[in-house]
Order: sequence, then structure tokens, then C-alpha cells
Amino acid sequence: MNTRSALNAVLRSELARDPRLVLLGENLHTGGSNNSLVCGGLLEAFGPRRVFETPVSENAIVGGALGLALSGTPVVAEIYSADFLFTAGNEIVNDIPKWRFQHGGPARLPLVLRAANGAGAGGAGPEHSQCMERYLHGVPGLAVVTPGGAADAAGLLRTAIRSGRPSVFLEHRRVYDLEEAVPDDPDFAIPFGQAARVRDGEDLLIVAWGGMRALALDAAEALEAAGIDCGVLDLRTVAPLDVDGLLEAAEGARAVLIAEEGPRTGGVGAEIAATLAEQLGTTRPIARVAAADVPHPYDPVLEARLLPDVARIVARAQLLCRPEAATTHR
Amino acid sequence: VDRDGAVALYAAMLRSRTLDDFVEERLAAGDAAPHFHSGTGQEALTVGAALALTARDKLLYTHRGYGQLLARGLPLSALLRDLLCRTGGTNDGFGSVLHVHAPELGLPGREGVFGTRFTIGAGLALAERLAGSEAVVLCFYGEAAGSRGPLYEALNLAVLWALPLVLVAENNGFSVSSRTGSLYPRGRMSAVWRGFGIPVAEVDGNDAEEVWSAVSDAVGHAREGRGPAIVEGLTYRVAPHIPGDREAEYREPWEARGWARRDPLAGLAARLEDRGWLTAEARAELARGLRAEVEEAWRDAVAAPPPGRPELEARLELLR
Repeated sequence: MNTRSALNAVLRSELARDPRLVLLGENLHTGGSNNSLVCGGLLEAFGPRRVFETPVSENAIVGGALGLALSGTPVVAEIYSADFLFTAGNEIVNDIPKWRFQHGGPARLPLVLRAANGAGAGGAGPEHSQCMERYLHGVPGLAVVTPGGAADAAGLLRTAIRSGRPSVFLEHRRVYDLEEAVPDDPDFAIPFGQAARVRDGEDLLIVAWGGMRALALDAAEALEAAGIDCGVLDLRTVAPLDVDGLLEAAEGARAVLIAEEGPRTGGVGAEIAATLAEQLGTTRPIARVAAADVPHPYDPVLEARLLPDVARIVARAQLLCRPEAATTHR
Repeated sequence: VDRDGAVALYAAMLRSRTLDDFVEERLAAGDAAPHFHSGTGQEALTVGAALALTARDKLLYTHRGYGQLLARGLPLSALLRDLLCRTGGTNDGFGSVLHVHAPELGLPGREGVFGTRFTIGAGLALAERLAGSEAVVLCFYGEAAGSRGPLYEALNLAVLWALPLVLVAENNGFSVSSRTGSLYPRGRMSAVWRGFGIPVAEVDGNDAEEVWSAVSDAVGHAREGRGPAIVEGLTYRVAPHIPGDREAEYREPWEARGWARRDPLAGLAARLEDRGWLTAEARAELARGLRAEVEEAWRDAVAAPPPGRPELEARLELLR
């Protein structure tokens, strides 16, 4: 099953399970955002009193979702593209995460904001391609979910819907079409804040999340062929960050490489590197592979040069593990 | 408005005024009351609108005019504990009086950055509709919130989905130091929304009976499932935006004094006396009783402890 179908199946089973759950989003009668196409058939199956097609009004979608959640009505709202989360930035950064801290309730705020995230096939331009987790992972009171495959997407979305804590659920565009077995248990759920060791290895640990998980695994294969024993840790949620899992995995490796699709400066990778350095000291080399600090060009050739890919992860890993042998690399 | 209703309006307005007067005295005496915003002179609008609701309805309040909250049944002691950021109010000192949280009284809370109340209100209204309730959501708003885009998005959605949302525009002449006329065409906050084909009424915001009647009509419209309605009350902010703001830089002293002659409490008191519904003696007795209530609530709030470690832990647990 691919991730798109897995997400659709979770929405379908949760709508059937909880008669109060509602969906909000644009173009839902044709499956929702063209960037996602996750919501196919849901309006037909559950009707317009459960699945609400909205105008292009992100303030109303996100603010309305907050009003619903404050009333105890669980809600999953789709934002057409994660880049557009900033159109409701005040609601996402101020109203939602701070509400319960200031007011002392309600005990549950069952609100999920789903959005297509990151660069897909390329060429979508600077405002339809970004990885938005870098802007949100440091906001106290907000969970930021970044699944890297179909099973994690299913398990994490179920947790997001049932947990009663507000979350931004970022679906990487390249992850939508990844195929993976998904447990058919209708209660299959993965807790937030639990990173997954998706590959073991002692020479190097690659830390990845979202769309970078698949690239990190491919890079690890290539590195194995080059004689570097490489593990991969998938964070799964960048907030809450599984600090214990991160430290434990890092302690089992001689070096750590953080692979992030977004720009280097101020990214999630910077927080991970700082955490590792603070907690484990600086004897273990730490490096980052990330995008350059420039907007995505529309031109797919230029964009491909901007974004980290398998070859760049491999090259950086070799430099990190065998600096003496890698001098021919840039 | 019948006799009981009119007397109830007066009593609730006087409760609000008594509180504002008392807090201003405490401020003058050097006490702190963080985030206090006086609603003096606007009681007819805040109280008249709030009393047009029933117990099951919900209200999104503004920062100015505590009559909105008191009219919903919020105890003075809870309000003052919130004002002084003490425990035992509605938010244990974490939200001040700006984030009063009493869902059992139909007071879900208040947004911290002006403007999202409209879309939050639309969501609350949709939830009532889905639950099969007949409750309506009343959303007060001032010049600041009404200048922001979420109002358009919320109203558009409320019209499309016929949501039970009532907006009450508090046109009090100012946004901090800026004149309403410099922020809205012809100084009116709601006229543009007539374009949606919804009821938009403009009333004398210093006439509590007129406000109550107009808001009751709007609430009835929304409750019947006919969608949103707006009432704009024309009033005047007699008080400065916050105590000690640079009032002299944006208005002449005579202007506020002129509006004080149109004081909504005095106006209603005169009508009630004319009709033989409330004598001067009864008013004085009411005022004495309210003053004693406020003083008692203030003593209670001052004695209450500020939040400590246990309250903070409880807050953090909510976020985990």
C-alpha cells in the first residue's frame, strides 16, 4: 500500500469509528488538495455534515478547526500545501499551541492540520516545495509529525487524531507514492516522540525524517558497498523530539550525519546537532547535509543542484568517516 | 424590554461600572492590576448584548468591559483573581483577565492576537450545529479585530453554512489612539457586510434597551438557522486605552466629558425612574451592595496566592 492510500484508509476508519470527527479542507469533493489527493471518496462516503469543503480561506479553516476542537469536536483540516501554513501562522503559532497554557483547558484539543510538504518531482517553485517543519518544531505546545513511509504515516496519523493534542502533520510529497506493508489493525498507532532505528550500523549514524528517510536508506546501502557500516535513525516526529532515542543511537556510532531537505541555517538539523554536542560532547564528529540557503528555483535542474540527494549524502558520509580517503571529493 | 429585564440591565451595568471605578481607585492608590481595560461608558453595549443570550449560548469577549463576563454569571472573585494573576480564578494566573476560561458559563476564552475570534467563533458555531444544539455564538469585536482579514473569511463561511454566529461591533471611536474614521470608510465597522445579504443593524450603543432589543433579534435570527447577523453599537471610549496612555496626544479633554453627559447608566436610570420601575433610593441601595461585593472580592483576590510550581506542572502536563 502506498502512503496516500494508507492515509486515506486511516481517515476512513477514524471517521467510521468516531461519529464526531469532522474533516475540513478545500476541493474535498475531488479528493482535496491536488498536492495530496489523500481525501478521495471521503465526502461521498461520509457526507457533507462530516466532510466540509471550504473556500480558499486558511484563516477560517485553521481558526474554525480550533473552534471545533475547543467544543470537543475532533477535527482534521487539510491545508493545500504546507507552504500555505503561514497564511494562518498566527493561529498555528499563537492561538492553538498557547490556548491551553493560558486558559487551563480544555483537557483535550483534538486538532490535526495535514499538509503536503517538501519537494516532489521538482519544479514547483519556491512557495510550493518547502519543508515547513523547520519553522514549527520549536513552538511549545505543538506536535510536528514527519512520517517517512506508509506504515508510520498510518500509525502516526491515528495517534494525531486520537491523542487530543494539536499537531501539524507534514506529508512529504515523495513519501506519498512509497509502497510499504501497513498493519490492518484498526487501532494501529505509533506514539509521538519515538524515533525508529530503521537500519543498524556502527561506523556512522544518519539522522533523517520525512522525505529524507528513503534517501538515507539508499545512501546507507551505497556506503555499505564502500565499506562503511551505516545506521539510519528516523525521527518520525521532529516535535516532540526523541532525545533519548537520538542519544542512544548516536552513542552506538562513531560519527553522526544529519540529513535535512530544508535550508541549513536554523533548520531542525541545527537543533539535533546542538543537542548531540551538548549531551555527548564533541569527540564524535557531527555533520549536516542540507539545502543551500536560497529559495527553490522553478527550474528543475537548478533545484536538483540545491537539494540534498543520495550522492551528496554518500559523499558527505565518506568525508566524515574517512577524511584521508575522501580528499578527492569537493 | 419589560420591567424585570430593564432592572436587570441596570443592575448588571452598575456591577460593571462599580468594578471599573473600584479598580481605578486601586490603581490611583498604587496597586497593580495588569491588563486592566476600563469599560466605563460602554456598559449599555456590552451588558445589553450579553444579556440577550441564554445560558446555553457562547460568548467570545473582548478585553474591554467586564460586564460581558459578569453578565454570564462569572463571579467577581474569579474575575479579580484573574485580573491580579492569582490562583483560584478561571485560569490560575496563567492567562490574566485577557484569557478568562469558564466553559460552563459559555465563555471558552479569548485569542491573544486580535482577529481570530471570528473564525474560532465560526468553528464553535459549527460545533453547536453538529451537536444539534440551538445555541448561538456571540462574538464581540472592536476596531482592531474588525480590521483584520479573518473577519471576512469567517463571515463568508458563516453565510455559506448558515452558522449561528452573531457579531456585535463595539464602535467606541478608537483603536488605541486612532480614530474609527481613519480605519473604516465613513467610520462604520459593519456597513460593508451588508453585501453578504445578512441583517446588519446599527444602534445607539449607549441605550441598553435598544441594544438588548437589536441583539435579541440578531440572536433569534441565528438561532432559527438563518445564519449570521451583525449589530453595530455606536458608543464612546470615555476611558483611555490603558490607564496612563498619552491621551492628550489624541483627543481633547472636552470630548470625553461631552460623552460622559450621555452616560448609559444615567440615561437608563432616568428612564427607570420615570417609569416608576426603580427609585433613586433603590439605586443607591443597589450601588452600596455592589460596592461591598467588589471590595470583598478584591480582598479575596489580594489574599490568593500567585501560581507556583504545582500550577506550572499542571499546565505543562496539559501540553504533553
